Amino acid sequence: MKVKWMLTIASIKMFFRQREAIIWTVLFPLFIVILFGFVKFDGMGRVHLGIVNEAGEPGGRLVETIRGVRSFELVEGTREGELAELGKGERDLVLIVPAGYTPMSAVTLTAYADVEAKPREAQIGSLVLQRVLDEATLSAAPQAARALVKTEGVKTRNLTYMDFLLPGVLSMSIMQMGIFGVAFSFVSLKKRGILRRLWVTPINPNDFIVAQVAMRLLVLVVQMSVMIGVGMMFLNLHFIGNLALIYLLGLLGAIVFLGVGFALAGISKSEDQVAPLANVISLPMMALSGIFFSRSNLPGFLRTVTDYFPLTYLADGIRSVAIDGATLTQVAPQIGGLAVWAVVSCAIAVKLFRWE
Amino acid sequence: MAEHILEVSNLVKRYGDFTAVEGISFGVDPTEIFGILGPNGAGKTTTLECIETLRPIDSGSVTVNGLDVRRQRQEVKRIIGVQLQSSSFFDKLSLVELLVLFGSLYGRRVDPVKLLGEVELQDKARSQVGELSGGQKQRFSIAAALVNDPVVLFLDEPTTGLDPQARRHLWGVIKRIRSEGKTIVLTTHYMDEAEELCDRVAIMDGGKIIALAPPREMIARLVAGGFTKERVERLANLEDVFLSLTGHVLRED
Repeated sequence: MKVKWMLTIASIKMFFRQREAIIWTVLFPLFIVILFGFVKFDGMGRVHLGIVNEAGEPGGRLVETIRGVRSFELVEGTREGELAELGKGERDLVLIVPAGYTPMSAVTLTAYADVEAKPREAQIGSLVLQRVLDEATLSAAPQAARALVKTEGVKTRNLTYMDFLLPGVLSMSIMQMGIFGVAFSFVSLKKRGILRRLWVTPINPNDFIVAQVAMRLLVLVVQMSVMIGVGMMFLNLHFIGNLALIYLLGLLGAIVFLGVGFALAGISKSEDQVAPLANVISLPMMALSGIFFSRSNLPGFLRTVTDYFPLTYLADGIRSVAIDGATLTQVAPQIGGLAVWAVVSCAIAVKLFRWE
Repeated sequence: MAEHILEVSNLVKRYGDFTAVEGISFGVDPTEIFGILGPNGAGKTTTLECIETLRPIDSGSVTVNGLDVRRQRQEVKRIIGVQLQSSSFFDKLSLVELLVLFGSLYGRRVDPVKLLGEVELQDKARSQVGELSGGQKQRFSIAAALVNDPVVLFLDEPTTGLDPQARRHLWGVIKRIRSEGKTIVLTTHYMDEAEELCDRVAIMDGGKIIALAPPREMIARLVAGGFTKERVERLANLEDVFLSLTGHVLRED
């Protein structure tokens, strides 16, 4: 029994004497909890309703009433805009409040929804809307005839979570390859003396870097091709975009993350040092760049900050091209963002990279 | 007297405030086996690394075959072969692939099987370094150091960690390499190794060379200075027992 005790005590000492242990086991989980506490996950169960108000002030009051209803995640917009969002799956239901609506008029309001793809949301949404309208009519003019909500079926593309997820996960794996792949392998080569053995030869160190980068870009092409191919063939991926554009985005993203990887390899002496740094950079992005859930669930300030994450640019870009068929001009902001990050990350990498 | 193939002159190397090598000088003759001995921290490895172009020299000069290590680094790299103390090679390549790769770094086409034959590893041509025993790894390290047919070969503690059979076997390999016309500079803690292999030995301590001469001469000087040792007439020692029981043949796994 004494032996077990001694070993346990020794293990505890060894663990907590690493500074990183405290940070990663205690502080970081706390940080994640606080961060995620801000994310509105309950937004996920609600019906995403778009409202188009063409009825001025009386319509405005109706909108405010509906806004107070907990089952709805409400966005107000224009007819074209909201119907477009409906088509993309960003709205479950779009209600048009026609010009001339008042609580006392017995008009018909049209609610557009893809009743085949989202029958539950369409049904709940229209039922709740009808109730809200009835209450408005009742409190304004009890004798008046009711305003009615009529649901009109709309064909949307029936996009699924897979269409959201696959481009995101693909982007994430590009990031992992760049950051973890390079950082760990170089640090390991450094530590084991393999690089040192190379330096007694006439080799130009840059040749080695070029070879490693070229190899990883090749891996990138394979990764992307496999994921999109398998996605389309077996996972129902609704791929409609320009493949060349996707490879371009992937390439830019890879450059950004390879730069990070080299920077980390330069400042770390061992795998133990590299891991926390790599994590602190990649985990927030994995969580908040719209990989596993849409960033529309994030509160304002977080949403703005994450707009500028390189992984956000990459995931949004690939998703827009793959699923919405975006063109070069349409993803120009993402390409621009990635290009800026690429320059920054390469500059930092050149500054920090060390062979010893 | 022939030109020294390696000439070290007032070599100084500092790490911050600490001076690891304090102005040492020596010359090595062609086809000599030159040993550098000393306790840990004496500066042996640092000296070697400075000559091998791995560490920048603070002051002094080093020339290899007439080439200045400070100003003609690339040219020096082309004519030396180096076996580092903790030499590692890429994991997933076979011995042959590694030798061919290293050969290409010198712009040379090598005969990997012949090179492996020089260190008696031809049977392991398709293996990876991770699959080799300690002795085999050291031998491969030497083969890799010979890839460019170097003029001078540098070996840092070549037999540390090897069993008696492997050590003796490696001594044979080193002597044969020298007989092919190469010059060898090695560091070691093993006195028997220095006595067995080296034509001349430099003893380093605290960053300085405190003696430089052929081993036999050093011993003679010590005895002449009045040194006596309790003479126990030993007809054999434990190593002799060991070798007679387990044989001289290399044990490989």
